[in-house]
Amino acid sequence: MQRHWQDLCEGQPLAPVHVPLTVARLVMAAGANRDFNGIHHNVQVARAGGAPDIYANTYFLQGMWERCVRDFIGPAGDLIGLRGFAMRKFNTAGSTVTVEGRVERRWRDGDAGMAEIALWSHCGGEVTVGPGKAIVRLPMRAGD
Amino acid sequence: MSPDDWKDAWRPMLQATGRDFAVDSPEVWGEPIEAGALLRYLEPLEFDCTLHSDARQARRLGHAGIVVPMTALASFALPLMWRPGDPPLFPAAERNAAPVRSPVQGILFGLEPATTHFLAVGSDADYFQPALVGDRLCRRGARLLSCTPRQTRIGRGAFIEWETEIINQRRERLALLRTTFYRYNRTHEGDR
Repeated sequence: MQRHWQDLCEGQPLAPVHVPLTVARLVMAAGANRDFNGIHHNVQVARAGGAPDIYANTYFLQGMWERCVRDFIGPAGDLIGLRGFAMRKFNTAGSTVTVEGRVERRWRDGDAGMAEIALWSHCGGEVTVGPGKAIVRLPMRAGD
Repeated sequence: MSPDDWKDAWRPMLQATGRDFAVDSPEVWGEPIEAGALLRYLEPLEFDCTLHSDARQARRLGHAGIVVPMTALASFALPLMWRPGDPPLFPAAERNAAPVRSPVQGILFGLEPATTHFLAVGSDADYFQPALVGDRLCRRGARLLSCTPRQTRIGRGAFIEWETEIINQRRERLALLRTTFYRYNRTHEGDR
């Protein structure tokens, strides 16, 4: 489904994205995004650095935010900025990351329809990434 | 001795704020982006969007080919860790040894005091245009935006924010990234 800028309203929630983090998935993510730092796949290395277990890397966590945003804006929308992507807690193996968001504001920039979407990830009741925001551009519905 | 004397070791970094440390560094490029590599990138994310997997749909939306997710640009700009002719990447069988060369060890230029650990803690990004399958990407520049010594629950070190950009083979700027790392020595057990 393609969403248009006119479909947005402030406060509108995005559909949450749930990402269960198994060891296999974290290893698959490291192989896919090439972040082979041991803290993301080797529990001994992760614990030596102060983490309780291996944890999701930056690319993987950012990808979760983009997936959540893309699911909402559709393939014709554009992601043009990320702000406040702050990793506050470790997103460790055995937990499920949930990404949530809501439309914070929308505005016109000439012919372009723009919006700011608040985003955050949480695990086990704690916010682990963010809250931050994505700046997006959506297509305008013809005739409006 | 003041309890904050350890912060003095970070003074050269603080004084270098604003400097682009990579201005004389050779450019390092990723490999051409392959459709299969992109599908594998999407796989652990279960990221289902035709823009990233279907050339016909991407062209219908005005793109010249399959579009790479914006948050994947930095990953696809990573260079190979080994190529034919290089010395071994894993010269010994020490269980937890990291590869001897890695592009994901953060940015180091020698003004930092020695630390044993690091992790990325945050980033901001401006995206100007997407990369397409077939493109080659380079992450270049390393402007030091800030350096903030801080003791945390996991150690003692500094939060260091760098600005870099991603360009493609036509030297078009695709993204401007501001990434913060925490470099530290362990002092406590605990959370981030």
